[in-house]
Amino acid sequence: MSTTNILAERSPPARTEPLTSRLARLLGGANLIGAVLPLGLLVLWQTATSLRWIQPVFLPSPLATVQAFWTMLTRQNLHVDFTASILIVSQAFVYGAALAVALGIAAGLSRNVERFLGPTFDTIRHIPGIAWLPLIVLWLGIGAPAKVLVIAKSVFFPVFLNTLQGIRDVEKRYIELADVLTLTRWQLVRKVILPAAVPSIMVSLRYSAGVAWALVVVAEGLSGLEGIGYLIFRAQGLLLTDQLVVCMVIIGAVGFTIDRAMLALQRYVLRWKQGFEG
Amino acid sequence: MNQRGSLDIRNVGKHYEVDGQRLDVLDDVDLKVEPGSFISLVGPSGCGKSTLLRLIVGLDDEYSGEILLDGRRVSGTSLDRGIVFQDHRLLPWLTLEENIGLALLNAELPEDEKRRTVAEHIALVGLKGFETAYPHQLSGGMAQRAAIARGLVGRPEILLLDEPLGALDALTRVRLQEEILRIWRAEKVTMILVTHDVDEAIYLSDRVVVMNTGPGRIVRELDVDLPQPRDRATHAFVDLKRQVLEHMGEYVHAEAA
Repeated sequence: MSTTNILAERSPPARTEPLTSRLARLLGGANLIGAVLPLGLLVLWQTATSLRWIQPVFLPSPLATVQAFWTMLTRQNLHVDFTASILIVSQAFVYGAALAVALGIAAGLSRNVERFLGPTFDTIRHIPGIAWLPLIVLWLGIGAPAKVLVIAKSVFFPVFLNTLQGIRDVEKRYIELADVLTLTRWQLVRKVILPAAVPSIMVSLRYSAGVAWALVVVAEGLSGLEGIGYLIFRAQGLLLTDQLVVCMVIIGAVGFTIDRAMLALQRYVLRWKQGFEG
Repeated sequence: MNQRGSLDIRNVGKHYEVDGQRLDVLDDVDLKVEPGSFISLVGPSGCGKSTLLRLIVGLDDEYSGEILLDGRRVSGTSLDRGIVFQDHRLLPWLTLEENIGLALLNAELPEDEKRRTVAEHIALVGLKGFETAYPHQLSGGMAQRAAIARGLVGRPEILLLDEPLGALDALTRVRLQEEILRIWRAEKVTMILVTHDVDEAIYLSDRVVVMNTGPGRIVRELDVDLPQPRDRATHAFVDLKRQVLEHMGEYVHAEAA
């Protein structure tokens, strides 16, 4: 029965279009292939909860989670916490990345600057942002500034190191070309060195944007009274598993959005570059 | 008429120190290049022909002797001397017209004049319509045409070509040889071509300068008195090729024609 069904469905298109284009349409058409796994997991989740494989206190059903989301949104000002987290992350990212690119360029262009900053940076870098938090909270209190500072630190180093390395990796033949075209030092930096370093900088920006978002959850969990991170730890304490899962889903969805936005930005900025597209 | 673009190389020598050992790469090189002429430097690898080009363009100032352009000693790089490298060396993040415009960044021209000159040179090398293309969108031959346009756009007195066609396929190479001849006649600029390809040297130049190794030096200058357009299959062409190869030390066997 099922066999004939499959055959009946399969044979007509096979006659009208070649296999490759059919595959491409099925898999690539609307990027649907990426949705298969999440939908599968959702079905599994629903099944597991419907059939009571897992107690709701350990894992609430998808429907209960949606209800919890609605409750949090309408009665518990979820959007306030959400905005608080987003604000901290965006400030931290902008400050950290801007300073990192600026200092990375300075260190990339001058061995002396690199030698001056190197030992200090290489030490600070190895003290995790979270290890800084208690001290910073002591100084700045449990409000947003302490978290912004700690997350900015975690954004700073990947971007700084990649900017520095990106500049150092500029091919010598391009420097020679700039010499032949009689470019000034500033023109060399602006027209040759910086654009050549941009691919490396973009990779680190995308990476550290993800790090920043993950870190805000931890930072808010450790200190403060608002934000998604605070909510998730509060939900754990109160055994509100449905709210806990809501927070997790939000964190995942925002992380996904950040990553895709950074990828789109990267594609746009590097549109001159032709890479392997798979 | 005192035409610009005469090059006078006098007793030029160049050596490197490698592990305390003196390594001579150029020894006692004398060469006079008349304004508007086309000279080719040929010779085996390591004969210093590319080194000599680097000295002329000003990428390397450490040498003995004198290199004079229109009687003035060259020092550092200058827009008076353009160069086309073997790799097209277009900056991948700039469009075709931005790449060519880069050579005019420090030229003393008003902006609209610069734009006009860039457009003219894009047309000169036959790339009209590709102004906003990025280098990765161009074929090897097109990229090398763009590099030639960039070399010429600053109106240099002399254009140095460092094996510009070496990385291209045979068909594209022959086509671009024609282009180079056409551009040379149109621009009336002095050209010095470094090449491995003896055919190419004879086909293009007024004079072929043969260099050899150990240390790098000029062993012979041969005038090419063949009418244009040249036919690679004529007896005179082949005979000249035989002479060039003999001086390069590459023509040991008589039957290797």
